[in-house]
Amino acid sequence: MALTAKIGDIFTLQKEVDKYRPIFYAGASGDFNPIHIDAEFGKMVGLGGAILQGLCTMAFVMQTVSEWSHDPYKVKKLKVRFAKPVLPEDTITITGTVTKIENNTAHCELIAKKQTGDEVINNAFAEVELGS
Amino acid sequence: MAVDKKFIGKKYPPVEYEVCKEKVKEYATAIGDLNPLYIDEQKAKESRYKGIVAPPMFAVVYTKDAVAEVMFDRELALNLPMLVHGEQDYEFIGVVRPGDVIITEAYVADIYEKGDKDFVVAGGISKKKSDGSIVTKGKWTFVIRR
Repeated sequence: MALTAKIGDIFTLQKEVDKYRPIFYAGASGDFNPIHIDAEFGKMVGLGGAILQGLCTMAFVMQTVSEWSHDPYKVKKLKVRFAKPVLPEDTITITGTVTKIENNTAHCELIAKKQTGDEVINNAFAEVELGS
Repeated sequence: MAVDKKFIGKKYPPVEYEVCKEKVKEYATAIGDLNPLYIDEQKAKESRYKGIVAPPMFAVVYTKDAVAEVMFDRELALNLPMLVHGEQDYEFIGVVRPGDVIITEAYVADIYEKGDKDFVVAGGISKKKSDGSIVTKGKWTFVIRR
């Protein structure tokens, strides 16, 4: 299916972070930093508990873009800024907007917010190849 | 103490990683992205890719040890308890599949100060061992509070 896009197109995805997500992600990615798997350690360093790995939240952003593009390898570039920590039992809503189309590539701006409205990822951009 | 800019351009030894199907499935399950291309052999075979592919962000897994070389470099001596991962940037150039051996070489892309923070940007270029083709280019921006 050929991907088409126009400026202003919006796509979105919601992800629920269950209690054990940082531990599953630690096992899968190898990121066992104690701030992700030890709630007491997380509290001690002022994070309010064990926080989700930022790169896991970035993977949520990638999923948002690749579900929109129907083909993950159409996504040629993804850049994110980690603005605030994500904690277990947060719900993250990711929204992408097509802002520019150039050389058969859609440029998208992305933002991820948690249920409180706080931005957890911002200044995020993706480039997606259009066509089949 | 500011991080010395003389380390900009420093290169680290290559790190090899062999992508395996079960690890790809484990990663896809952990991030909750159950695209059949990552986990369903039959459906993946019927796709344009003719088999299972790694999620693009699986780059995180095969580049981890290469970037760790920068983070834990004793010469660079980053103050790890004060370090946070500020930004991440990936360019996805080639398709990665189970069986691929990926070689990543990390380097120090930039060091700068802003306000009372130090910024250290690690770069990583990942290639397939089989043909030397680039699969991803990554940039990790670390922010270190003083």
